[in-house]
Amino acid sequence: MPTLIYIEPHGSEQKVEVTSGKTVMQGAIENMVEGMLAECGGSCSCATCHCYVDDAWVEKTGQASEVEIDMLDCVTDRRDNSRLGCQIKVSEEHEGLVIRMPDSQF
Amino acid sequence: MERPVWLNAYGVYVLSRYEHVREALDNNQVFSSASGVSLNDFMNQALKGGLLCSDPPTHDVLRKIIERPVMPKQLNALRQQIIDEAENHVEQLVKRDRFEVITELAQHLPVTIVSNLVGLPEAGRERMLDWAPANFNCFGPADSPLTQSSFPILEEMVKYALEECVPEKLKAGGWAAQIWEAADRGEISHDICPKLMNDYMGPSLDTTIFATASAIWLFSQNPDQWDTLRANPGLIPNAINEVVRIESPVTAFSRMTTVDHEMSGHVIPAGSRVLVLYGSANRDEQQWENPDTFDIQRDNASEHMGFGFGEHQCVGNNLARLEIRALLAALIKHVERFELIDVEWTKNNALRGISKCNVAIH
Repeated sequence: MPTLIYIEPHGSEQKVEVTSGKTVMQGAIENMVEGMLAECGGSCSCATCHCYVDDAWVEKTGQASEVEIDMLDCVTDRRDNSRLGCQIKVSEEHEGLVIRMPDSQF
Repeated sequence: MERPVWLNAYGVYVLSRYEHVREALDNNQVFSSASGVSLNDFMNQALKGGLLCSDPPTHDVLRKIIERPVMPKQLNALRQQIIDEAENHVEQLVKRDRFEVITELAQHLPVTIVSNLVGLPEAGRERMLDWAPANFNCFGPADSPLTQSSFPILEEMVKYALEECVPEKLKAGGWAAQIWEAADRGEISHDICPKLMNDYMGPSLDTTIFATASAIWLFSQNPDQWDTLRANPGLIPNAINEVVRIESPVTAFSRMTTVDHEMSGHVIPAGSRVLVLYGSANRDEQQWENPDTFDIQRDNASEHMGFGFGEHQCVGNNLARLEIRALLAALIKHVERFELIDVEWTKNNALRGISKCNVAIH
């Protein structure tokens, strides 16, 4: 069960054990990490599970699909390492994965 | 997986398995909407050219216009307004010790929104709720009394759209007015505008109302789930997915195959009408563990077919989610437990929903 490090909007760190197979979004929501909304509940249709994948982890979290890339157009403060948390499935190789939450989801 | 069932009574194939339903909805080239999505010829003809009964590329042009005001970005501007409206309404409601879920809770936001944001003229607004069920009963088989009963009601709606939903009577800047403006810009023809009015009026009432009422009923039957939700309001979006999965307000639509298509070893011939069962897919034990259990923490709840899937996925789904989220967020603050007093389900050709439900609140 990998431990993810979520950095909340005001900078505080939350170390969370996330079951493999759950998404980065689910890890945040289920553990009440601040800054994650996920208003469509993970259907890749609301762009409110926006997060930044720490540069060191971009390769290990894979590439966004076309649908995700389209939805990323809707996020505020989009950066190169922007992803939608509901589209990243957590696995054992994500031990120590650092996810930064944006200031706001809308 | 079993082959699709042939339903002799209606001359249609039926897709009831999650995998088949998802495949059909994802493949609009084979499973076309342009020949209509109902089970009767009358409606399949009447709706031709509208958003629901069109394929790409026609579909895409219409969709881009209709979806504009209900895309996540645009809804952001409405977020606080809807949250406030829900808060105010719930605050009043919980002063009592019991209420009727449909008329006193679930109808409030959809009706308010359809009227105000769509910008419909006052005249006819009070008929909106009477028209709502007809919008889905009309999709049934021709020989169904429910189907037949819906046609005169739809005639009223069509008349309303033609006579009242015109630029000079619509609220300026409202969603309906924006459709006419798109026509003025040449994006679509003016001829189709009256038909498109129904894309906001028709599918936005009973669907959301039934989902809302189902949520309350489910929480009254599963108080542990309500406790879980109160402890972590961040679960509201997934709870909504689970409600829509398990109760599936929209139960079915149809498609027509454009070519021969093989499914689980059987070839469905070209030109076949295929009934796609959303509710059945949402309870398929091959997809869902304990499908009949209401579990707001279900990991794959977001994969439900309750809003459809693919090109025709419910264009208003984010609006519906916003409305229901706002209500649940307000209710968790005030209600510890819903106690069911009574519940009745409605009969509709394409909808599943509660017609009446009284709850006591604690």
